[in-house]
Amino acid sequence: MASSSGNDDDLTIPRAAINKMIKETLPNVRVANDARELVVNCCTEFIHLISSEANEICNKSDKKTISPEHVINALESLGFASYITEVKDVLQECKTVALKRRKASSRLENLGIPEEELLRQQQELFAKARQQQAELAQQEWLQMQQAAQQAQMAAASASAAQQAGSSQDEDEEEDM
Amino acid sequence: MKMSRNTPDKDDQTSTNKKTISLPISRVRLIMKSSPDVSSINQDALFLTTKATELFVQYLALASFNNSSGKETNSLSYSNLATTAEETETFQFLSDILPKKILARDYLKSLEEMQEDDADF
Repeated sequence: MASSSGNDDDLTIPRAAINKMIKETLPNVRVANDARELVVNCCTEFIHLISSEANEICNKSDKKTISPEHVINALESLGFASYITEVKDVLQECKTVALKRRKASSRLENLGIPEEELLRQQQELFAKARQQQAELAQQEWLQMQQAAQQAQMAAASASAAQQAGSSQDEDEEEDM
Repeated sequence: MKMSRNTPDKDDQTSTNKKTISLPISRVRLIMKSSPDVSSINQDALFLTTKATELFVQYLALASFNNSSGKETNSLSYSNLATTAEETETFQFLSDILPKKILARDYLKSLEEMQEDDADF
């Protein structure tokens, strides 16, 4: 969602995300609206706190980019050391997931078959499928025709038998 | 299928699973960059900060609820949060954005009392 205001300081975590977290943390608890709004603002404040501290730590080191190490040290120095184990676990999990995705996509690429060949094989398969479909459709059509013919013949012989029967009756009547 | 690491898998979990991230990472990055002097942030550092923020929300909510009379009424109010923030050392950084709301009549009353004190002289 694009922010309509140009002011960076108005950036906050979307209210919906916060509401969801509150609901999961405190299920069945009625939380006042102004309390929710407060949590949203506290989040922003927290993020600024961590960023500033991590940035300071980063500046003191040789690096130009804030690294995970800087963030962890920031958490520790700000009194949030209890968060460290859990955030580290999540980082590990994120990396594992990302790695799996990369492996999966590279496995596909590394079948050893170049793209044009794959494309050609795909076209072949499509053509084959279309042909099979056509043959199947034709068979069904033939069967229908045969069934219809049989039905016609059966109907015709039935009515012929009827007519033969009734004309006999007529003859009999005339004779009388 | 989105291969971007930036997109949290909303479909994968319905709860704030310990192993994953619920908050929008891109928004966290924007907020971090709006801090003065912050230039570049490593992607992993961003993940850590996002998760830490989630934990912060959970702790704030839980601590406030446990701390309050809300346990009887099953509710959480603004002042529950404000009181908890004030009383918890690690939450002191919130004091700037947390004026404790007072009732107008209490404020007026304390004003009156101040005026009475002045009148004694």
